[in-house]
Amino acid sequence: MPFSSNQPSWFAIRKELSHMQKLVLTVISFCLPAALWCLVSYVPGVWHPDVKLTVAASREGVATVFTAGDHLSKGYFPKYVDDVRQENAELLAAGASQSNKRKNQKLLRQIAPIAIKANWIKPEQAQDDALIYQIWADLALGKKTLPTLNEENMEIVRLNWQKLSAQSNTFSFQTLPQEMLLKLLPQGVPANPSYLPAPHEVIQAGWRSFTSPPTSDRATMRERFASSVQIIFYGFLWAAIIGVPIGILCGTYGFFSHLFEPFVDFFRYMPAPTFSTLLVAVFAAGDAPKVALVFIGTLPHMILMISKTTRLLDFSLLEAAQTLGAKPRQLIGKVVLPGILPNLYNDLRILLGWAWTWLVIAELIGVKSGLTEVIETQGRFRNFDEVFPIIFLIGFTGFITDQFLSWLHGLLFPWASTSSKLSRKIAVIVTWPIRTVSAGVRKNGKAD
Amino acid sequence: MPSNYLDKAPEVAARFARLQQRPITLEVKGLTKEFITPRGTVTALDQVSFSVHKREFMCVIGPSGCGKSTLVRILAGLESATAGDVMVNGKKVSGPGPDRGMVFQGYTLFPWLSVKENVMFGPKVSGVPNTLAEREARQWIDLVGLSRFENSYPHQLSGGMKQRVAIARALANQPQVLFMDEPFGALDAQTRCDMQNYLLEIWRNVDITIVFITHDLDEAVFLSDRILVLDANPGRFREMIEVPVPRPRHNEQLFEPTFAATRMHLEHLIHPPGQESKSAPVIRLTKPDPDVI
Repeated sequence: MPFSSNQPSWFAIRKELSHMQKLVLTVISFCLPAALWCLVSYVPGVWHPDVKLTVAASREGVATVFTAGDHLSKGYFPKYVDDVRQENAELLAAGASQSNKRKNQKLLRQIAPIAIKANWIKPEQAQDDALIYQIWADLALGKKTLPTLNEENMEIVRLNWQKLSAQSNTFSFQTLPQEMLLKLLPQGVPANPSYLPAPHEVIQAGWRSFTSPPTSDRATMRERFASSVQIIFYGFLWAAIIGVPIGILCGTYGFFSHLFEPFVDFFRYMPAPTFSTLLVAVFAAGDAPKVALVFIGTLPHMILMISKTTRLLDFSLLEAAQTLGAKPRQLIGKVVLPGILPNLYNDLRILLGWAWTWLVIAELIGVKSGLTEVIETQGRFRNFDEVFPIIFLIGFTGFITDQFLSWLHGLLFPWASTSSKLSRKIAVIVTWPIRTVSAGVRKNGKAD
Repeated sequence: MPSNYLDKAPEVAARFARLQQRPITLEVKGLTKEFITPRGTVTALDQVSFSVHKREFMCVIGPSGCGKSTLVRILAGLESATAGDVMVNGKKVSGPGPDRGMVFQGYTLFPWLSVKENVMFGPKVSGVPNTLAEREARQWIDLVGLSRFENSYPHQLSGGMKQRVAIARALANQPQVLFMDEPFGALDAQTRCDMQNYLLEIWRNVDITIVFITHDLDEAVFLSDRILVLDANPGRFREMIEVPVPRPRHNEQLFEPTFAATRMHLEHLIHPPGQESKSAPVIRLTKPDPDVI
């Protein structure tokens, strides 16, 4: 029996699951999308609608130039191969000519990207013809093997080397053959669209970008992360400094409620990003307009949420305090504030989550900065393996912050019973020294 | 043998005579409350007048809609009267104040304060120093029997315990009058009975005048010296009953003739005989069950 009988059923309607069951399901809820991603990425035939080129060839008279690594649709790829094959046949048919030497030098270099990929030469040696000449020789004579090249392409390599070696075993422009060399045929592997890189590619790219050494002209990921967090922090802090008191006043006094709330309600419907150019004009470049955008994105919601939270405070508590002799100012300080604090805290937690949305927009205004700049630039080059780690980083930062603040809620407000059993236990442990000391003081007091 | 509620044993009559001699703590004169609604003016209370003597225990009872909650809220200063005066020790009062304590049906304890801090709330807003307020709070908590729970928070207490804290909190302010608005209405029958005994015990030990709102006739007879009966729609003074049940009260008195007679009279005042609406039950069984009658 996998689970003991006192464990609640997994599918009981409106019944609380056990702690273990909840934990298992939490883990699964994260594993499920990850598993789906792996399935789509690694199991052939599930999706893979594209062909990713491992060997590319240029075509005469076609404007679109493909290079290795490009994605082609599965339907178009065979036509591409046929086109090149056709061109090869035409090249074979064409006779010898002095002018072909120039073209042959170019065709000689078609092996360079493959050699770079195989780490035989460095990228800056892509035009080192002597070295490349040697690679043709090594491949044709079997001294080097390249599994990426299929048999048809190996045949082309050998044919080309026959032509080359007939003239000379080492490179010189003079001894290049006058007959045309053949083009390597395009080759590719099934691949997903570039916007969905495989998990390992994302992890590698993430690792690369976060461990790359700092350079003078580019900010490191850590600096970017710090700058993003800083913008959100200051934007949110300013919003809280102004929004919390106004919200509480609106929730407490009808006067302030009707003075502020109608306009705030209207302002809320003007999307914060529409102010972006205005903010740049007012605050100039730098972080100030970004902080301001997070601020004006957050503030109206904060005022309205907090005023609502304040109004939700049980009015009978205020009445009870009045019958106990509390004056209006004492009502705010001793009843309203402590009474709404746990809900106010939760409001701020939710608003902080929204502030991340404003941050992403804020970082795109004026001079692009922070994590969003990376998303923007890398996305433009379709380097989505660089984009995903940033998206995940923002997601995790938000999630972890929220979980932490939620846990802290239990510590700060043990009487607001929304806190979990675990956090209450931790609260008991954390407050133990204080309670022990105060208990000791009390005992001594009694003994006297 | 049915007894008349007006028949009093000599010692009970003597006690009432002595009570009449006491100074008047709370006096209500011509209290009227009108609510303005879209459909016109609704009179909740119409010219209600009565007075409560020092350390008297008075219950206010009446059919639903008689405005007894409105009455006590006006007395506590939480609502204003349309006309009429409320006087505490001869002084006219308006608005809430520490001279009149209040215990609500819904406990209204401050959930962020411990039991002790709840009880200290009144003295502290009146400017009593912390150490003194704390010492006094302990005594009040002791009085309601919750010393073991002085550092607990309201959400950790049962309903009865919460209401005891609420009573201690109201008493800690040392008010002249304590208003209680159906304070035991949310409690189960057993707890309610215990709380009634607790309350009488506290009343004996504390210098306090109590005005107690209830819709429970037994509760009214069991607790009070006098019962103010109100009419409904509009709320009007109907009768002031002097309860002939001798003190100290105990649970066995519920079956005594004086108790039963008083209760019967109240019953007639609130639900006049002949006015019960009897609707014919729908008969679903073709063959009646002789054992289910």
